[in-house]
Amino acid sequence: MSLFVAVPVGLAMGIVFGFLLEKGRVFEPGIIVGQMQMRTFIMLKMFLAAVASGAVVLAVINGLGIVKLQPKAALYAADVVGGLILGTGIALAGACPGTTLAQIGAGYRDAIFTLIGGLAGAVAFSCAEPWLKTTFLGQGQGKITFADLLGVPYWTGALALATVLVAVLVGLEWWRPWRSEIGRDADGDLGAPPSERPAGPRIVPAE
Amino acid sequence: MISLTDRAWSPYVAGVLIGLLQIPAFLLIDTALGASSSFVTVGGTVAGWIDPSILSIDYVAKHVTATAKNWWQVALVVGVAIGAFASAFLSGSLRRGVSPIWARALGTPSRGVRYAVAFVAGFLMLFGARLADGCTSGHGLSGVAQLGVGSTVAVAAMFAGGIATAMLLMRRI
Repeated sequence: MSLFVAVPVGLAMGIVFGFLLEKGRVFEPGIIVGQMQMRTFIMLKMFLAAVASGAVVLAVINGLGIVKLQPKAALYAADVVGGLILGTGIALAGACPGTTLAQIGAGYRDAIFTLIGGLAGAVAFSCAEPWLKTTFLGQGQGKITFADLLGVPYWTGALALATVLVAVLVGLEWWRPWRSEIGRDADGDLGAPPSERPAGPRIVPAE
Repeated sequence: MISLTDRAWSPYVAGVLIGLLQIPAFLLIDTALGASSSFVTVGGTVAGWIDPSILSIDYVAKHVTATAKNWWQVALVVGVAIGAFASAFLSGSLRRGVSPIWARALGTPSRGVRYAVAFVAGFLMLFGARLADGCTSGHGLSGVAQLGVGSTVAVAAMFAGGIATAMLLMRRI
């Protein structure tokens, strides 16, 4: 596809993506930090729902032979080390690379600094990449999927994954209804944790 | 019913609809949803104006080339900002300044401290994402849905790093 079609398509898809991230509230620092502190689970709920629906649609369009899958190569050391650094950044940013842009759109001022830091981090990695790939971080095992390991067709594995995720989501919602985790200003801010709240006036029982 | 002017939709509805975006990504662009390579495309292009020698690094050259996939993803993340603005505008929940949680999480209301932390956080996020070859979107949404073994490892590490940092380094929000 030509660049002149790909860019408008990307823009249109991005607008939908950003709209949904904002409506789902998974761009709010309160929701993302709340997830990492295991106080609220809205991020996990949206994430797992998106993985499940993605797995179902890919099971269909790949199963029918319409598209090829695009799994990434397994580079275990880089996946672990990179994932840990990425996770540290996500907690401190209260955002992921994509949701940083949603924060900017919604008006959060600090997200501009996250974006600039992100561009600097991407350039720094690019400069180190020729060296990094010669180290243990460049060692990998190629594109392997759990479907390959289990010896089942992709669509079977994908539908099994989606089924498990739906069960997990039903359990999560039963345990922690999402409406109770949104907060008054829909930003995941539920107020200071009970342990850090200043002690209120004690009610002394009448004699 | 859900409405475009609602402040919040169920995360399940929003999540399922985000998953459906894999359809145009695979059918039209022949790629999966992702966000972090666009930072190399934009960062590399800007750095190339200042110091053209950076463009001789294969990794940078590969990302800044005018291919459909490279610039589709840049357009995607620009669209994310526009879409989030539109949604917040329609529901009257546009934000100003920084989230109220930061004063508690960082233990100071200082805007300067928050901006400095945000810069460092962005740096770590993209350095880590590029090292792992994907972020919450590419490894998380797309890689796990494709049953990728490496992606699943990366997502587990990402949550482990995030939880450890938020629990040990940051104050409870």
